[in-house]
Amino acid sequence: MSRFFRGGDDSSTESSSDEEELYSGSEDEAEKKEAKAEDSSSEEDDDEAEEDESSDSDTGAQKKGLSRFLLDQDSSESEEEEIEGTTKVKSAKDKRHDELEATITVIQNGQKISDWGSIANELDKLNRQVVKLQDARGKAPKPYIKCVAELEDFMNETIAKQKVTPKKMNATNARGLNAVKQRIKKGNKDYQDQIDAFRKNSDDFMESDEEVAPAPKVPKVRFHEPTADEEGDDSGFAVVGKGGRVLEFTPESIFKHLRSIMESRGKKNTDRLEQIKIMEKLNKVADTPYQKIRVLMTLVSARFDLGSGGAASMPVEHWKAAEGELAALLRLLDTEKDHVVIENAEEWDDDEKAPTIAEGEKYLKIPGSIVSYIERLDDELTRSLQSIDPHTSEYIERLTDEGSLYNIIFQGLLYYEMLRKDASLEVPQESLNRIIQRRLDHVYFKPAQVVKILEENCWKEVPSNVNSVITPRTEQNDASHLINVLCNYLFENSDGIIRARAMLCQIYFLALHDEYYRARDMLLTSHLQENIANFDINSQILYNRTLVQVGLCAFRKGLVYDAQNTLQEICGSGRQKELLAQGVMMQRYSQVTPEQERLEKQRQLPFHMHINLELLECVYLTCSMLLEIPLLAQTGSSPDVKKRVISKTYRRMLEYHERQIFTGPPENTRDHVMQASKALAAGEWKKATEFIHNIKIWELMPNTDNIKSLLAKQIQEEGLRTYLFTYAPFYDTLSIATLSTMFELDTRKVSAVVSKMISHEELAAALDQVTETVIFRKGVELSRLQSLSLTLADKASALIETNERTLEQRTQGSTNAFSRKDGRGGQRGGGQRGGRGGARTGGNTQRQAGGTQFTGGALGAAVRG
Amino acid sequence: MASNPTANGDASLAEYDLMLKLAPHLDRHLIFPLLEFSAGQVVDEESGDVKDEKKAREITLAKYALLKKTNMTDYVANLLCELEGLKEPPAEFADRRQKVFSQLEKYEQETSKITELLERDDVVNSLRSDKVANLEFLKREHEVTIEMVDALYDYGNLQYSCGNYGDATELLYRFRVLSTDNDKVASATWGRLACEILIMSWESALEEIQKVRESIDGRLANNPLAQLEHRTALVHWALFPLFNYDKAREPLLELFFNANYINTIQANCPWILRYLAVAVITSRGRTKNVGIQQKQMKDIVRIVKQEWYEYQDPITKFVYALCIDFDFEEAQQQLVLAEEVLRSDFFLLAHADDFVDSARHLIFESYCKIHARIALKDLSARLGLNKEDAEKWIVNLIRDTRLDAKIDYQEGTVVMNHPPSSVYQQVIERTKGGFFRTQVLSAAVGR
Repeated sequence: MSRFFRGGDDSSTESSSDEEELYSGSEDEAEKKEAKAEDSSSEEDDDEAEEDESSDSDTGAQKKGLSRFLLDQDSSESEEEEIEGTTKVKSAKDKRHDELEATITVIQNGQKISDWGSIANELDKLNRQVVKLQDARGKAPKPYIKCVAELEDFMNETIAKQKVTPKKMNATNARGLNAVKQRIKKGNKDYQDQIDAFRKNSDDFMESDEEVAPAPKVPKVRFHEPTADEEGDDSGFAVVGKGGRVLEFTPESIFKHLRSIMESRGKKNTDRLEQIKIMEKLNKVADTPYQKIRVLMTLVSARFDLGSGGAASMPVEHWKAAEGELAALLRLLDTEKDHVVIENAEEWDDDEKAPTIAEGEKYLKIPGSIVSYIERLDDELTRSLQSIDPHTSEYIERLTDEGSLYNIIFQGLLYYEMLRKDASLEVPQESLNRIIQRRLDHVYFKPAQVVKILEENCWKEVPSNVNSVITPRTEQNDASHLINVLCNYLFENSDGIIRARAMLCQIYFLALHDEYYRARDMLLTSHLQENIANFDINSQILYNRTLVQVGLCAFRKGLVYDAQNTLQEICGSGRQKELLAQGVMMQRYSQVTPEQERLEKQRQLPFHMHINLELLECVYLTCSMLLEIPLLAQTGSSPDVKKRVISKTYRRMLEYHERQIFTGPPENTRDHVMQASKALAAGEWKKATEFIHNIKIWELMPNTDNIKSLLAKQIQEEGLRTYLFTYAPFYDTLSIATLSTMFELDTRKVSAVVSKMISHEELAAALDQVTETVIFRKGVELSRLQSLSLTLADKASALIETNERTLEQRTQGSTNAFSRKDGRGGQRGGGQRGGRGGARTGGNTQRQAGGTQFTGGALGAAVRG
Repeated sequence: MASNPTANGDASLAEYDLMLKLAPHLDRHLIFPLLEFSAGQVVDEESGDVKDEKKAREITLAKYALLKKTNMTDYVANLLCELEGLKEPPAEFADRRQKVFSQLEKYEQETSKITELLERDDVVNSLRSDKVANLEFLKREHEVTIEMVDALYDYGNLQYSCGNYGDATELLYRFRVLSTDNDKVASATWGRLACEILIMSWESALEEIQKVRESIDGRLANNPLAQLEHRTALVHWALFPLFNYDKAREPLLELFFNANYINTIQANCPWILRYLAVAVITSRGRTKNVGIQQKQMKDIVRIVKQEWYEYQDPITKFVYALCIDFDFEEAQQQLVLAEEVLRSDFFLLAHADDFVDSARHLIFESYCKIHARIALKDLSARLGLNKEDAEKWIVNLIRDTRLDAKIDYQEGTVVMNHPPSSVYQQVIERTKGGFFRTQVLSAAVGR
């Protein structure tokens, strides 16, 4: 009879989807006949929910349908039965059931030949299908349960076998097996009770629906026992998880619950959300401080577990909840002074009764690490910020959470300070260092005003009688002081990476606030450039950021040379994005494994910490222009000067720009700088200034006008120098006054610039004071042969020098023969080769080796002695 | 010591007064001459009247505060009388005086034996260079104990505190010969240095400086911070011999320009640059070795430039204007200011004229290097001389320095001749050392 029924139904669905409605309509009628009380909307719901009845049970359903008439009259029947009753055979569902069956067959076949790859695929499919076939109460179709349960058994068996036999599975199979394992664990959780029922008595289970089974089904589900070992842990959870058992959450049972939750922690098939719900309830009933602390701690860590999978970040609401709970925990600890949470405490055996403060003990020590919680909270926020598109309002919203996070960090700091006061607790210095480092991490890149607001807010949060030893309340208004205090604390009390990071943070902050010299001196004193390569990548990123910030600061001060030198290392490489962790580079010759790529993604800084790369490039190129253009002009006129290149990147761009046949009006920053360079090279300083001033991005700098006028001045001077270099060969004399009008500089400045060039022997000329002119000496241009012979002489002496150095290294300076020679070199240094000779014999080779552009590795060398 | 006032009458000069900066690095007794000098500045030279009552009082007050802790009770008592207008010093001074005397006596007794021993020729002759052996010897033969040796140190300390520097240095010297306690020996060395400076025996002061320097490099090698502090102090103390004893100049400049010390100056006390600059500029023509002077000049220019952001005063401004900016007018202005500063500086007072003269040379030299023709009138104005004098001055200069320059009297100009360095000359210059160096090299390889 079912055949008959089905056949008819099939045809109705197959005809078209339109018919679905028609059909549902027609069904309505049928339903009405059978279930009079049902209204049409619920009917449709049912329709969509798709009952779980398998096609096998059609007959059962039919029977139910029949019995239903009887039951209907007897209103004592359970609701669920009614629903099942209403689920008459429906064609769409039938089809799905067929598909389900087909899939199951494939899986069973796969089991026979142990083809885990295909099993995994099919299981995926099965899971998708079964979702659609669930009934309103989340009951899965029975064949599915059966299949899954069998599959699990088989899988366990395979895994067990796998352990014994040394033979390895092939890769596809192994992967498949793992996938299946995970899915089963995940899937079975949802249908645990059903599976348990099946395990209990598979025959009964399968039959149950063929007969009029629903009635015994309910108690069966409620009553279950762990059949497989694996379910053991879960069963405890399942009992609680059934819901509607609030009664159980009594203060006495809290620890039991917690224990079971703790035990299931980290296991794959635990429902963390469910656990969290339980704990939220537990939190409400907890009454002693100890209970509260325990519950809160477990709850917070459970929330963190939610975000532990791969790159996914923790859901926002859970983050917020965790933040709230952590705050509550800290408040609680603050009021209950005799309870302390410290890392090195013993675990309490608290199942039976809550521990009390022992005789002679001042504190009830609870194991746990507040600092780890806080760090985790911080990390999660960063991760979430990493994944949000920074140009949306969502990002901004999320960013506001930083304030509350900062409050937590601050309160955590207060808490640790309090703990440190009592030496008997033996709180490690490291925890305090870690938390201070976190606090520093949140302020170092921010302008002073922002830090001030942060500070004010967090002081508002704590009661007015609380004060901090390290950062007293009275000094909250001065951000630079705060940074200084935090950093100094870390200098004194930590070592290694934390210390270096503190140093970098302080330098960064100083550079951000235009304290160039202090920042520079600290950077040099730290000697970080020598050993930064041994640090972890995050510290290296911080170092790069600091370096860039110092460079930008130098630029704001108008110190073009220093700025260029400092930025060279980062910007010259053309990999700014990577070096500053502000974006992943496109890998052209991709050699990066996905693993590396993932790590790199994790390292990325959230957007609000970024340094503007375009501005950076603009600064770098402008500085390079101011240095390179006069140099190009100088080397252009005299071939014997060694071809010195300051910035390869800039040169390359300039060459590219010059190769272009047609250059349109400048569009981006780079174009602007390049056209300015061209103008400057031609002596048209006004045009160059205009190009540079037209760059939009200057607006992002504080004090734009000031910077622009500084730049204009520099361009004027460099323009003058370039002009002199370029056109000197074509003049006998040049009037200072003319130059002064040409470059709109006053005569004193012009003569100072010219004097400087003459004195440094860059220009073969002399000034005539009487007529106020520059007289260019003739006959200084060398013939080709002459310049070549000069070069040869240079090379020869360079060769000797190299030989000497090689020998010196070999003999480790034990030969005294060289000291005499060095003395000679030094004396001669006064003469022509002053710069080089002087530097070499200056005795401070270490400074040179350090490669510091600032030449003032002074303090460092002094300190190191 | 914070009570030290800025002691100069002139307000603009006051900001260049280094008293406050120097004082923390000097010993109490070493500050005293500086204060005396300040007091002398306030007193009008001719009439002997005190120009500024308030200032003078401040200085006296500072002196009192400074010496209160020393044992020069009589002097302190007088100071107090002067301050408070008392006829008789308070009784406590008499007490203290008594105490000091009794202490002196006590130490004298304690040390009498060892002093006696050390004056005996036969004992001194049997001493060797080995300290430990010496001590053993004295213990064995003459029953000298460690306590007696230490008493020498304490006695020396007390004598120093009382202002008897000559005795103190003698005692400390004896102590150092015998003691094996390194820390005490080091402080005895410092003490002797102070004594030698205060009794102005510069020769031995120089020796002591050398000793201190060695002990800093050796003993403190693994304590960079202490090294830095000690070096800073040494640099300050060395200023006394540097400007008071001509022969000290060369070795001390060498010390100052030593990489470690120059770094110390840059890091910890950039104001020393003033003294360094003056010393280098005035040592022009004095030192036999022109090369070293030029190199030091170059170094000082470099350092002035580096420390520009941290320290500026008329002297460094002068150097900056002349050697970095080539702004001769500015240099001229700064020179005038610098002279004033020099005249009010304890160390530099005696060198003011010398400095101005050398600075003029420097200006002229670099002026000539850059210019081909200079109007005599203009130049004389620049040098701050009248035309006649300027002419003489220039002629002398040309003769002295063998500048290639001539005075065109008709036009009223100085004409400089800058022969372009010939290419051939350049090539010869560059390859000159090659043969010798190669020889040395091959000899070294052969060894």
